[in-house]
Amino acid sequence: MTLAPAIWVETCKLVASRVVRSTAGLLVGGVGLLAASLTAAAAAGNQQVLAQLGPLASADGWTRFVGVAIQITAAAGLLAFGVVLSWATGREFTDGTISGLFALPVTKAILLTAKLMVFLVWTAAVAVALLAVVTAVGFALGLGLPDRPAVAALGRLAVLTLLSGLLAVPAAWAATIGRGLLPGIASTVITIVLAQVAVVAGGGAWFPIAAPALWASDPSAVSALQLVGVAVVPLLFGVLAARAWSRLQLDR
Amino acid sequence: MGEIRLRAHRLSRSFRGQTVVDDVNLAVPAGRVHALVGLNGAGKTTLLRLLLAMLRPDGGTAYIDGHDVKDADKGVWRQVGHLIEHPFVYPELDAQTNLAVAAKLRGVPRAAIPGFVDESMSLWVIERYADRRARVLSAGNLWRLGLAAALIHRPEIIVLDEPTNALDPAGIILLREYLLRRAGSGAAVLVSSHHLDEVARVADRITVINRGRAIGTLDPGTAGIERAFFELVHADDEQEARP
Repeated sequence: MTLAPAIWVETCKLVASRVVRSTAGLLVGGVGLLAASLTAAAAAGNQQVLAQLGPLASADGWTRFVGVAIQITAAAGLLAFGVVLSWATGREFTDGTISGLFALPVTKAILLTAKLMVFLVWTAAVAVALLAVVTAVGFALGLGLPDRPAVAALGRLAVLTLLSGLLAVPAAWAATIGRGLLPGIASTVITIVLAQVAVVAGGGAWFPIAAPALWASDPSAVSALQLVGVAVVPLLFGVLAARAWSRLQLDR
Repeated sequence: MGEIRLRAHRLSRSFRGQTVVDDVNLAVPAGRVHALVGLNGAGKTTLLRLLLAMLRPDGGTAYIDGHDVKDADKGVWRQVGHLIEHPFVYPELDAQTNLAVAAKLRGVPRAAIPGFVDESMSLWVIERYADRRARVLSAGNLWRLGLAAALIHRPEIIVLDEPTNALDPAGIILLREYLLRRAGSGAAVLVSSHHLDEVARVADRITVINRGRAIGTLDPGTAGIERAFFELVHADDEQEARP
């Protein structure tokens, strides 16, 4: 059987889900609102905010605004995507629908693959929405037309959002192994913490879960090879999750 | 007797050292309703899970149409309809979308899905809930929707675990008539239950399960079926208790 029926089914579930809608709204709206608030506070000379912004404190206009949006998205994006993918996978266990996914003409590995594909398409849609909202908020703040570096930074914001979705794939594996939502969310929190530790330790660029945020903030800090290395995470954990679904038993 | 559609051959399964299904043989032919009866925890649900490849056996083999279920292909599974423990219903979807989802996953061609959905809602008398999200349905209507989803593709092999538990009397009659009608047209039906009276009304054959083993059969026509059941169970328990 092809993927098409499973993709249709997963799309129905994702579109109808309040969890997915509210998470997307919170992420897109929250990043726009927080970036606008912090930028406005920095422009007003708020010393506490300026201290938190680090190198961005000395920037201004679009550069500072998009830089702040990138910093917020780096952590909030991964958490939001991890929550949604944990829900998409773990809810089958907590809602008891998993038994209905056995003994079907469509295999469980195909079902999991469809979940991941629909999730990644949704991630791309969120990236576009986030880009649109951040751009609109920038105009609303009176920043004028973005110059070329600002346009490039907006592009990196969209790519960072997409890559954050890819980095959330371990949540699907963890939710399967742990048979529920919470293990998936826990794995996402661990991923965020590990990324922070890697950055603080100075080896972030070679660490796939930290590289996208570093690159989005400063493209010169991460090589193309290091950025491509991000693909290892979704590929490895996608295969592990598909294998776990393929070998699944209702034994607990 | 029709051809054997569903078969357990010496199936066994343990959890953490405790045997839950122990060397069970079972055969369900086409055109018959076969019931598994037993007390709570007897191993009925685990046996059904083994037959549907939801669990891998420690010993023995489960067959559907002669195919070992561990490597049965989509052609085999397309003929199976089942409801084990939880209805296959997503709370965020309305009733008709839930049925369309079930039909899609069970291989119903896209063009035929609306017709199957309408037929199924009519059959289980849930038309009025077509546009309502499943999360707002009562337990009884949710169970009807679950049965409708499990059986929407007109399966020839039907496996249901305690199917009457959440149904109201009208729902029980709907299910009884459905099972008898489907068996009459050649389907093989396996149901588990601990409602002996209900089982006696639909089953052609009744297997008693106790402590994971098939310990005997009951004649559905027997007047004192409840008494016969407990005699079998007590005799088995006493035999087990002997040193």
